[in-house]
Amino acid sequence: MTVLYTIVPLEDVLEGIDDDPAPTMVLKLGGLSLEVEQLDGFQAKVVRLLSTDPEHYLLPHCQPGAVIDLK
Amino acid sequence: MNGQEQPATPGGSGSKDKAVLQNIKELGQISTPQAQEPEVQPFHCLTIIGQIEGHMVLPPRNKTTKYEHVIPQLVAIEQNPKIKGLLVVLNTVGGDIEAGLAIAEMLHTMKTPTVSLVLGGGHSIGAPIAVAADYSLISATATMTIHPIRLSGLVIGVPQTYEYLDKMQERVTRFILEHSRVKADVLREMMFRTGELVRDVGTVLVGEEAVRIGLIDEVGGLGVALSRLAQMIEPDAEGGVQ
Repeated sequence: MTVLYTIVPLEDVLEGIDDDPAPTMVLKLGGLSLEVEQLDGFQAKVVRLLSTDPEHYLLPHCQPGAVIDLK
Repeated sequence: MNGQEQPATPGGSGSKDKAVLQNIKELGQISTPQAQEPEVQPFHCLTIIGQIEGHMVLPPRNKTTKYEHVIPQLVAIEQNPKIKGLLVVLNTVGGDIEAGLAIAEMLHTMKTPTVSLVLGGGHSIGAPIAVAADYSLISATATMTIHPIRLSGLVIGVPQTYEYLDKMQERVTRFILEHSRVKADVLREMMFRTGELVRDVGTVLVGEEAVRIGLIDEVGGLGVALSRLAQMIEPDAEGGVQ
């Protein structure tokens, strides 16, 4: 269940909620798994990091939004 | 100091600029917390910006703080002996109540000294996060909106009963009361005050007012925040080999 507690009007927060999210895939990268959204044939954008090591969450290339070269 | 300051990236400074721009676009911040480097900054900075995203992925027009990333970062900061303190900078419009309370509880239970700084705004669920730090600051022009959940509340998956909303409200109110000097009757009166907000009930507190009612500890900016953190770690610094 979700309860939003915010000053922003609900219609502004939810604008575009019905649009289909971009498909994602899980990328194994040097021992950790990243959920990524493919941008084109050579690049992917990090959506979320799947790891139990908290130090991984401080790595710059694992932050949501980071772009990874698939080469 | 160290011979290899620049990591061998093919793009040089151009790719660095690109990375900075991308960070601003995606996370609203210039740099992301770095993993253990030869020189670890003694203080880390966590920015809570935009909407706090919880169980539901918000549409891309929202700028969001993703709690599933913030929580492990807090664990890493707490575990890293080189990180001496955490500065939490808030400029948030609220968000998911459970994600917000989760971050607040994590901050409150950390042994690493924490100082929060409300810049711009710390509204709705931002209030418990601000008071969760060991010491809280608000800049003179920043605002905090204290209002009931119903103002623009969204409840998915449960009947929207008054009792349910009341319980959600109580979690937030109790957390704020337990972690700040504000009095219960003052907080409740501000939360349900009519006439101050156009659409609903609530109170907007600007800088000094938040300190006066005891919600925030002090009016100040970055300099004060960093010197408070330095004061908190001083006994440790004297005892250790520096």
